[in-house]
Amino acid sequence: MSFWEYVGTRHTQLLADTYQHASVVFQCMVLATLLGMLIGVATYRSEWAGSLATTSTATILTIPSLALIGLLIPIVGLGVPPTVIALTLYGLLPVVRNAIVGLRGVDPALVDAAKGIGMSRAARLLRVELPLAWPPILTGIRVATQMLMGIAAIAAFASGPGLGNEIFRGIASLGSANSLNQVLAGTVGIVILALLFDAAYVLIGRLTISRGIRA
Amino acid sequence: MTPRGSGDGAGPGGGRAPDGHGVEGLAHLDDADMAERETASGEAPLRAPAAGARRISWQKWTFMPAFLVAALLATWLWFRGARLDSIAHQAVDNGKVWLALRQHIQLTAVSTFFVLIIAIPLGIALTRARLRRATPFAMAVANLGQAVPALGLLVLLVIWLGIGARSAIVGMVIYAVLPVLANTIAGLRGIDPTLTEAARGIGMSPMGVLRKVELPLAVPLILAGVRTALVLNVGTATLATFGGGGGLGDLISAGIITQRMPVLILGSVLTVALALLVEWLASLAELLLRPRGLEGTN
Amino acid sequence: MPEPSGTSTTTPPAGTTGARIHLENLTKTYPGSHAPAVDNVNMEVKAGEIVIFVGPSGCGKSTTLKMINRLIEPTSGRIRIGDEDVTDMDPVRLRRKVGYAIQASGLFPHMTVAQNIALVPKMIGWSRARVASRVEEMLDLVGLDPREFHGRYPRQLSGGQQQRVGVARALAADPPVLLMDEPFGAVDPITRDHLQDELIRLQHELHKTICFVTHDFDEAIKLGDRIAVLRERSHIAQFDTPEAILTNPADDFVSGFVGAGAALKRLNLSRVRDVGVVDFPTAGIDDPLQDIFDLLRNGSTNELLLLDRNRRPYKWLRRGDLARAKQSLARAGTLVTDTVTRDATLRDALEAVLTDNAGRVAVTGRRGEYTGVVDMETLMNTVHELLEADRLEALEHQHQLQEQRHRETLLAQEGLDTGEGGAGGAA
Repeated sequence: MSFWEYVGTRHTQLLADTYQHASVVFQCMVLATLLGMLIGVATYRSEWAGSLATTSTATILTIPSLALIGLLIPIVGLGVPPTVIALTLYGLLPVVRNAIVGLRGVDPALVDAAKGIGMSRAARLLRVELPLAWPPILTGIRVATQMLMGIAAIAAFASGPGLGNEIFRGIASLGSANSLNQVLAGTVGIVILALLFDAAYVLIGRLTISRGIRA
Repeated sequence: MTPRGSGDGAGPGGGRAPDGHGVEGLAHLDDADMAERETASGEAPLRAPAAGARRISWQKWTFMPAFLVAALLATWLWFRGARLDSIAHQAVDNGKVWLALRQHIQLTAVSTFFVLIIAIPLGIALTRARLRRATPFAMAVANLGQAVPALGLLVLLVIWLGIGARSAIVGMVIYAVLPVLANTIAGLRGIDPTLTEAARGIGMSPMGVLRKVELPLAVPLILAGVRTALVLNVGTATLATFGGGGGLGDLISAGIITQRMPVLILGSVLTVALALLVEWLASLAELLLRPRGLEGTN
Repeated sequence: MPEPSGTSTTTPPAGTTGARIHLENLTKTYPGSHAPAVDNVNMEVKAGEIVIFVGPSGCGKSTTLKMINRLIEPTSGRIRIGDEDVTDMDPVRLRRKVGYAIQASGLFPHMTVAQNIALVPKMIGWSRARVASRVEEMLDLVGLDPREFHGRYPRQLSGGQQQRVGVARALAADPPVLLMDEPFGAVDPITRDHLQDELIRLQHELHKTICFVTHDFDEAIKLGDRIAVLRERSHIAQFDTPEAILTNPADDFVSGFVGAGAALKRLNLSRVRDVGVVDFPTAGIDDPLQDIFDLLRNGSTNELLLLDRNRRPYKWLRRGDLARAKQSLARAGTLVTDTVTRDATLRDALEAVLTDNAGRVAVTGRRGEYTGVVDMETLMNTVHELLEADRLEALEHQHQLQEQRHRETLLAQEGLDTGEGGAGGAA
C-alpha cells in the first residue's frame, strides 16, 4: 500500500489525531503563555527573582521529556494529565525568559516618560511596557510551540493524545508493510502542523505588533 | 532618539528543544537577523540560562552536585526498600541499569563528537567569503528541519537503516548539528570587522586570521552551542530505546509498558540526574575554556 | 499649505495659564549615601515665567526638577503648585496636571503621533471628540501639519519633529506647569535653535509656568525669564534674570559658568521684535513686470524685495537688475539666502546681516511670510542702547546689594536671623 493510499483509507483516524495534537499543543501553549507572562511580570524588576525564574524554568527544560513524563506517571497516572503538565512546563521557559528580557529591555527613559505624564503602575505595564516587550514574547511563544509539537509526540507513549500515537503504532508494527506509512503519516502531520502554527504566529505578529516598532 | 532603542533590545528567543532537552542559547530563529541579534542582545538569547548565572559563585557550583548526590541517594535507598516482583527484577537485574547508563553516555558522547566535527567546520566554511551567500539557504534548511519531531526522525531512520544504536546516533547528530552550526556562524559573524581587518593589515594569512583571531573570539558562542548540543543529545538518547538503541530510555519504557513504578522512577531519576550533571559539567567547561580576556564580556 | 485651524493658534487655548511653584527646603538623600543629592532648595517660580535650571552635570538640577512632579520623592521639604500643597498628593494625579517633556522626546514608539498626544487627555477622561480636536490643535500649535503627521509613528519623524510632538504631548491636557528635562539635548544645533524659537513663540501664546533643565548656558540665556545657576547638590549660586547674571555674576562659579563673551551673549537676550523692524518696498512675483519696473524707477528706493506666491521673501531686486537680465524676472536679482523670524535673537540677526553683502535681512512671520527688514544701522543702535542700559542697571544693582549687605550685617549684629535664601533673587 503506498503512502497516499494509506492516508486515503485512514484519513478519519489521522484527522482526529491531528486535531487532538493541535488542540493539546494549543491549549498548553495558552496556559504556558499566561503563566509565563505572569511569572515574567512578577519577577523582571528584581535581579535575583528574575534569574531564579529563568534558571528554574531552564532547568525544567534540561530534563528529557520522556523522563519528566516518567516521573509524572506515578503521580497523576497515564493519559492526558501528564501530557498537559509536561507540555505546559516545557512551554514556560521561552516565554518567561523572553518576557523578562523584553520587559527589562524597555528603554528606562520611556518608563520615566510614562510615569511623568501620570500613568499608573498598571497603565504603564499594560500600555507601554508589555506592548514594547510583546515582539520578543511572541518569538518565545513561537519557539515554545514548535518545541511542544515534538514533545507532544513523545507524550503519546504515556497514552497522551495526538499524532504521536500514529508513530508509536508504526513502532509497534516495525517490520510490517504499514509501519513506514504510519510513522511517515505521524511525522509529516506534525511537520505540517508546526508550519501552520508558525504561519499563524507570523499573522498574529502582523496583527498585534504595532507598526511603529515592527522591524 | 531612535524609537527602536527600546523595541528591539528584544529579539531574544532562540531555543528549541525538540523533545524537551534543554536548549538555551541558540541563535537560529530568523537567520536574517541573526547577526543583529547577536550584537543587539548578545547575552540574553545566546548564552545559557540566566544572565546572572555567569558569575561564578561557589553556591552555584556546589549546589547542583550536592542536589544530585542527595537525589540519587534517596532514590537508591527507596529503590532498595521497594518490593520488586519478577517482572521488575527482569528489567533491572544483571547489571541492566549500569548497561543502560553506559549506553546512554556512549550515545551522547559519540553523537556529540560527530556533531562537533561536522558543525564547526561547516560553520567556518559558511562564513568564508566564497560561501557566505549560501549561509541563509543553509540556515533555512536547517531551521525547517527543526519542524520535524525527533521521535519521527529517529524511527524513520530506524526503518531505513535498521534497528540499533547506529540509527539513533545518526538521528541525534542530524538533530544537534543546528545549534552548534548556528552559534558558530553567529560567533564568527559577530566579530568586529575592524579586528579582522587589522589582522589582515598586519600581514596575517587568511588561515592565520581564522586561527589566531576569529576562532578565539568566537569560542564563547561556539562553546554555548556545544553545551546546547550535549544537553540535547542526552535527551534525544532516551528515544533510542524505540529503535533498539538502548540507553536509559529502556528502563523508562519498560517501566511504562509493564506498569512497574519502581523501574519507571529509577530510569527517570537516572535520566534527569544525567541530564543535569551533563549540563552542569558543560557550563563548567564552558567557563573554564573561555579564552582569558573574554571573561568579562558577558 | 492651507491650515485648517490657523486661527486657533493665535488665541491661547482653553484658559489655563501658569501656576506658581513654590519649593520649600526641598532635600533628597538617596539611601546608602550620607550626602544629600539635593540639599535644602528654596525657590519660587512665578506664574507664567520660564525658569531655567542650569549647572554642571551631576549638580542635581535634574533631580530637583523631577521632585516637582515627584518622579523622585523628596526626602524632606514641601512642594506647592498654585495654592495646593502637592507633596503628599497622589503622584499619578499630580503628574497628569504637570506637563513633562524629556530629552529624546520619550515618545512611545508603538503609538502613533496622535495616540501619543491623546494619552493624557484620555486618562483624565476627556470625551473622544474633544480629545480628537485637541490632538489636531496641538499638532498645529507646534507647527506640524495635523493631516500629515497624525498617523505617523515616532520613528518616521526627524529628531526635531519628535521633540515637537513631545512638547505637544506634554501640553495636551493644558497643564498649568510644564517641566522640561534637557528636552533639546539630543538634536543638532540648527534644529535646537528652531525648537528654542518655537518654545518662545509657544510661551508667548500660552503663558505656562515652565521649569527647564539644561547644561547649556546659551540656551538658558535665550529661553529663561530667570535663570537658576546651580552648583553641586543643587545649591543655588544665583537666581536672577539673564541680564543680571550676565552683567553681574554673583561669584566666580557663576562667572565661570557664564564664560567669555558676555557682551555677545547679551545679544541673545533681545529679539528681533524688540528692535525696529522697518518696512521695505516689496512686489509680488506675479505682479505685472511693468509695475515692478515703475516702482524701481520712480520710488524713493533703488531696491525692492520680491515675494513669492506665499508672500515669502524670494529675491532682492536692484534697479539695474531687470535691464541686465533682459527683462526676465526669473534671472534677475539675487536670491534671498537667509531670513530671521520675529522671535530670533539679535545675535542671529546680526549674523545674518553680517553675511549679507548689503547689510540687511528680511524678517518673516510664522509661516515664512514677509513682515519687514532689519538692517545694520538699527542693530548697532539697539545694541548700543542695550549695553548702556545694562551698565546703569548693574551699577544700581551693585548699589542695592551693598545696601542690603549693610542691612544684613546690622540685623546680624542685632542678633536677628534673616534666614536662608539670600541668594535667591534678592534684587
